[in-house]
Amino acid sequence: MAEFFSFIGENISQFIHFTAFANFTVGHLIMICFGLLFIYLAIAKEFEPMLLVPIGFGILIGNIAFAPGFEIGIYEEGSVLNYLYFGVRYGVYPPLIFLGIGAMTDFSALISNPKLMLVGAAAQLGIFGAYCLALALGFTPNEAGAIGIIGGADGPTAIFLTSKLSPDLLGAIAISAYSYMAMVPVIQPPIMRLLTSKKERTIRMKPPRVVSKKEKIIFAIAGMIFTTSIVPSAIPLLGMLFFGNLLKESGVTRRLADTAKGPMIDIVTILIGLTVGASTQATTFLTWKSVGIFFLGALSFAIATFGGVIFVKIFNLFLKEGNKINPLIGNAGVSAVPHSARVSQVVGLEYDRTNHLLMHAMGPNVAGVIGSAVAAGILLSFLS
Amino acid sequence: MHLKRKYLLSWFIVTIMIVIAIKPTNGQNASDLKFNEILVINDSSNIDDFGMHSSWIEIFNSAHNTVDIGGCYLTDDLSNPTKYWIPAGDPITKIPSQCYILFWADNKPTRGIKHLNFELKGANVIALFDASGKNMIDKLEITTPQKADVSFGVINNETREWGFLDHITPASNNDYSKKASAGEEFVKMDPTGIGMAITSMAFVFFSLVILFIAFKFLGRMSSKSLKKNQKTESIEAKVVANAEELSGEVNAAIAMSLFLYYNELHDHENTVLTIQKVSRNYSPWSSKIYTLRKNPR
Repeated sequence: MAEFFSFIGENISQFIHFTAFANFTVGHLIMICFGLLFIYLAIAKEFEPMLLVPIGFGILIGNIAFAPGFEIGIYEEGSVLNYLYFGVRYGVYPPLIFLGIGAMTDFSALISNPKLMLVGAAAQLGIFGAYCLALALGFTPNEAGAIGIIGGADGPTAIFLTSKLSPDLLGAIAISAYSYMAMVPVIQPPIMRLLTSKKERTIRMKPPRVVSKKEKIIFAIAGMIFTTSIVPSAIPLLGMLFFGNLLKESGVTRRLADTAKGPMIDIVTILIGLTVGASTQATTFLTWKSVGIFFLGALSFAIATFGGVIFVKIFNLFLKEGNKINPLIGNAGVSAVPHSARVSQVVGLEYDRTNHLLMHAMGPNVAGVIGSAVAAGILLSFLS
Repeated sequence: MHLKRKYLLSWFIVTIMIVIAIKPTNGQNASDLKFNEILVINDSSNIDDFGMHSSWIEIFNSAHNTVDIGGCYLTDDLSNPTKYWIPAGDPITKIPSQCYILFWADNKPTRGIKHLNFELKGANVIALFDASGKNMIDKLEITTPQKADVSFGVINNETREWGFLDHITPASNNDYSKKASAGEEFVKMDPTGIGMAITSMAFVFFSLVILFIAFKFLGRMSSKSLKKNQKTESIEAKVVANAEELSGEVNAAIAMSLFLYYNELHDHENTVLTIQKVSRNYSPWSSKIYTLRKNPR
């Protein structure tokens, strides 16, 4: 009998050894708090709930402490989470998300006023500004490139580039990119106000002209050919973006477009959010590098906003009266679609209740998506 | 006219397809295989799986995918291109991307598929032919007198310059010196990153400026054609309006439709269900009790 109890006792002790409580560290607790914060922000404040709920819950999943060796963790080969993480590690999910984004994006605002494309290009300054700062802080060139892409304000692009350049930083960069995308309404307005005068904020722009279906179809095809010919390394992202857009604009593949922008992007968003969140295991995530990445991520957003707004101000010097651009749409050049365009609208309305900038801001906003994918392609060609 | 356009379009597509078919492609297949290193006189270097010092030939797969060398031919005699057939269907003939395969030129083909039926001593040339035995993939002329236990191979991967190697490197890269990554090279030249920032921003602008120019012109063309269409439509509308005098029949039809329309109008909207109480006198024919089926006894 005593032997039996001793046997049971040993098994219970082994079981306790395998529980999360026995393996718990302060790091896990900190990360769980982060996860809860993300979930709170998503549910209570409605900050990017589609992303922050899966990421936040993923952080919780990834930080339940476990004894290694049982194919449980996201980094353990053979575990279910590891299989799901495959799409992040090898950059499979981001192009699929771009396909969905293409199928739900209307490029009319950009086609009707093509000069807004240049605003989308100028806002990519954030990427390269952060790259320079990261080099100065001692990050390796590949790490600096991956950190810089946070300034593109485009989660899928950030994940895609980081998986190629510096896979070790994937969790920190993805979390940083998505967190700052959610915080665009907090980061951008002070910079926009600081850089513009009251007169500039009330500039009224010409209403966009009607864009024909033919033009939209040509844009999808020509856009893909021109941009990817210059930067072939951006083919996975831009090819899928424009393909998705062609599905939408052709009008004859409505079912495919509906799937791409509906169930497919939802499935991929769930998988990418959850696995990116789960990849932030305290043991790999809580490092000084992650702190540096968060710091540089915030700066890159600020630089990108600065680049967009200042570019519009300079551009206005060369434009005739009546054709001028309201610099409040400069911030929308970062590709946090449509949040940054919404920021332009909200800040614009503060100064003129009848001046609606949303449609105009969508131009640089979607140009920013193209611009950040091109920038990612350039970084990939130079650094890999 | 419409048919003619279709005809021209078909010809255009066919021409493009023919041009693509004729143009030598950079396909990632057996054509990416290259001779990389040979050791003609192997007195005391590496040994084969039978413990013998034999000459060897190293082939490099320069493609970015696995290439199967099975089915191709190796020869030391250009007049006999199909001298040694590399058996197909064996997994060991599959060469992963950027990897190498080693063949023993020992004239002992019974020792396995990596043992050739010729030797390198005395050979002036070696060549690799594709599965048809007609197209040469790569050729190496051995004109330089060979040294014992010193391999002859590619000393510069970019220019593919050949020379004697300091050490033999069977089935591995000939250049094993530490190399800086592309990023490290970039930072060596541009430690602050400003050069990268300016160059990259220029590329981003260039890409979007091209789109800007293309769509500025397209927009102008579209606006012009839209105006033209509107003009034509308005002229046509005017012509129609002037040409048509309302006849008596048309007036009658309008009057009739108005009459029907007003007749349809009532105090409740169409498609809105209105429940009104209908009182009916009792009749056994409409009684539920009489019409229900009785339970069998």
